[in-house]
Amino acid sequence: MEPEVVEAELVLPSYLSFKKVQMYEKYPKGQSRGRHWKHLKQIIQAENYQNYPPEEPNYVNIESPPSMHPCKKICDITGFEAPYYDPRTNLRYANTEVFKIIRSLPNEYVQRYLALRNAQVVLK
Amino acid sequence: MPFISKINRQSDYNLFRSATPLVIDNGASYFRIGWAGEDDPRVIFRNIVQRPRHKTTGETVTIVGDHDPALLKYFDCTRSGPRSAFDSNVVYQFEIMEYILDFGFDRMGANGSEIDHPVLITECVCNPVQSRSKMGELLFETYGVPSIAFGVDAAFSYKYNQLQGICDRDGLAMCPGFTTTHVIPFIDGEPMYKGCCRTNVGGYHVTNYLKQLLSLKYPYHMGRFTWEKVEDLKMEHCYIAQDYISEAKLFQRGTKEAEEKTRLWQLPWVPPPTEEPPSEEEIARKAAIKEKLGQRLREMAEAKRSSKINELENELHGLEFLLNQLEQVAESDIPSFLAETGYVSRQEIESARNRTTQSLRKAKGEPKSEQTETEKADSSNNEKYSLVNVADEMLTPEQLIEKKKQLSIKSMSEGRMRLKQKRQEAELERERKQQLEEEKRLENPELYLEQLHAKYKDLSEKVDQRKRLKTNGGHTNGNNLSGGVGRGERLNAAQRERMRLLTTAAFDRGKGEDTFGAKDEDWQLYKLMSRDNDDDDEGPDEDDAELARISSRLQDLDPTFVPKLETSTSQTAEVPRARPLTKEDFQIVFGVERFRCPEILFNPNWVAVDQVGLDEMAGVSMRRLSYKDESLESRLTSSILLTGGSSLFPGIIERLEAGIRMIRPCGSPIKIVRALDPVMDAWRGASAYASGPQFHTQTFSKMDYYEKGEDWLRSYQLKYSL
Repeated sequence: MEPEVVEAELVLPSYLSFKKVQMYEKYPKGQSRGRHWKHLKQIIQAENYQNYPPEEPNYVNIESPPSMHPCKKICDITGFEAPYYDPRTNLRYANTEVFKIIRSLPNEYVQRYLALRNAQVVLK
Repeated sequence: MPFISKINRQSDYNLFRSATPLVIDNGASYFRIGWAGEDDPRVIFRNIVQRPRHKTTGETVTIVGDHDPALLKYFDCTRSGPRSAFDSNVVYQFEIMEYILDFGFDRMGANGSEIDHPVLITECVCNPVQSRSKMGELLFETYGVPSIAFGVDAAFSYKYNQLQGICDRDGLAMCPGFTTTHVIPFIDGEPMYKGCCRTNVGGYHVTNYLKQLLSLKYPYHMGRFTWEKVEDLKMEHCYIAQDYISEAKLFQRGTKEAEEKTRLWQLPWVPPPTEEPPSEEEIARKAAIKEKLGQRLREMAEAKRSSKINELENELHGLEFLLNQLEQVAESDIPSFLAETGYVSRQEIESARNRTTQSLRKAKGEPKSEQTETEKADSSNNEKYSLVNVADEMLTPEQLIEKKKQLSIKSMSEGRMRLKQKRQEAELERERKQQLEEEKRLENPELYLEQLHAKYKDLSEKVDQRKRLKTNGGHTNGNNLSGGVGRGERLNAAQRERMRLLTTAAFDRGKGEDTFGAKDEDWQLYKLMSRDNDDDDEGPDEDDAELARISSRLQDLDPTFVPKLETSTSQTAEVPRARPLTKEDFQIVFGVERFRCPEILFNPNWVAVDQVGLDEMAGVSMRRLSYKDESLESRLTSSILLTGGSSLFPGIIERLEAGIRMIRPCGSPIKIVRALDPVMDAWRGASAYASGPQFHTQTFSKMDYYEKGEDWLRSYQLKYSL
């Protein structure tokens, strides 16, 4: 290792005296251990919140509800107020100049703009 | 990103008694660890882990937090990016968490056999029990921590600010954080989790949105928009608009105010070297070099020519000498004499001599002496075509063949003569015309020029029209420039007509009575069908030639005349010329983006999170409390504390006030304050809390953890007011 890397102690040492179980003991090298953690969704599912009274706050039921206000429509390209919608690309746009732009955009960019609001076409 | 990490190793770890708690603010963006009772955490670093490979040794190493990027050049970071242990503020990857804790404790200076201090660590509101128990297990089993307490960062921040007199016992803590935004109501100094709400939008989403928008707006500079840089830009330039739509209108109209609000980021740009026009000397020097080269080429060509002439002359001399000799040789000796020279007959030598003379003439640049040739032809005509005028009956079969040959040769040469004559006549005619025109011109130059111009215009229009007709058929719809390639544009008029005839012939059959062939004109159809369209080329050719002539003449006479460009070349799609890149191409403009990105805190559905925004969350929170107590609700809204990293955006307080005013009854008191230090107050609150004398009553030990079981851990809740 380069001296400046060593001096900055950039790399976490593999042995630390204050640990009762070292990393290499817990996760030995060379053994395929697969995925040893659960996704958040799996964690929530394992919590079985449906077995608890609904008035008791938990991770799931403290989530905010959907908004009561109508969603403000903004132009996907410029961010201006968007009164129009292009049925071909599904993009919202503010005026004719933006319309010209979106009609000249390659599909990849259209999809990336749509992906910003999770409205892109997903091929399954 | 401002480098706010503090990762120096602490040396005074052993000076602290084992009863002094370690306080950890385990936030999704930053990890802060320090001693209870102190004002600031000792160690701060980004809560990320990278596992790159060392470039020279090839071993995989673990790097926790953010470091000087200059040091990372020794590592290959392309395979694995920075990883976080968090998903929506919940710790779910405990291997990564362990690396982070390792690093944190190590930098605190821990060097004993275990971490012999109580630990207060923050978690998110209503953390799933699995995450909590895993964290407990990790701390107890791996680090030997004697006791643990879990608390909520936003609550600690609220309590800290309450102690400083910023907010009251009853109030709302609004915490737009890194990956989530929480609102926690406080009543009597205790958080009411049942009135809590969480929207899964935070500073991470703002940065990501900005990054995406910028890289879509400036695809050429995409590489510039690293996470760290964009985070930096966000913190420096983003603000929250009072009213999004009207603010956007300012920019749409391009007002002066909007111009002032627009920020520019000039990327490093070096102007391309400007080419200075070459000096006189340079030009002279270049011309001299050119002249010299030309001279050399000319000399070379001259030498080549003279050597060729020499060669040919030698050959000619040789042949003539041979012929002379041949005359002196007896008739019978000819074949044996010729065998040596490689020629078969006298005629062959003569023809070779003729060829050589001709090429010699050509090489010397003498004009072909046609006159002599023709004369010679005339003189030799009689002997050449000796058999032509003899009747067939008098000839032997060989002679008959010879006669046929002579006949054909004669007719060919006669044809050639006729053609030559015709050409001469045409030339004469042209000369005559030119002379006539010249006379006209001399008579009245202006009028002549005018006439010529008119003629040119007429002709060029005619040619143009024919061209258009040929490519576009009868009905020019005017958009042949647009480049649409349909059937009509691909075929010319004649081909189209032919297609039409073919299709009508193919599909009209069986429609009523078949009367085809009753009239003679019907049969013309086949002629039209079979005809290919190379018949209409003569007319335009003539016109084109005339046009070229007139335009060249005009160019001679009128210096201002510019011949019209070929329309067909200008019709092909104009290729955008590559222009030199300017300074402006390297400017990143932040206009609407400055307030569009943080606006997602108020409109999460812009990034596909279908939840209420920050302002509405206050209303949701109070509704969930369901106390139906007007005075309590007024007390809550008159003490709203904004904390968390994303509450640093300028304008957020005013916007939030306007938003909450809309959902509250008219005249309700609303007071919104920002925490003293929205980023650090959670740790400070936790530090103050852990240094309190009653802290030990809120912790639990390893024994408690294993005896009381999961249900107890689920309902475990810190009491914040001690």
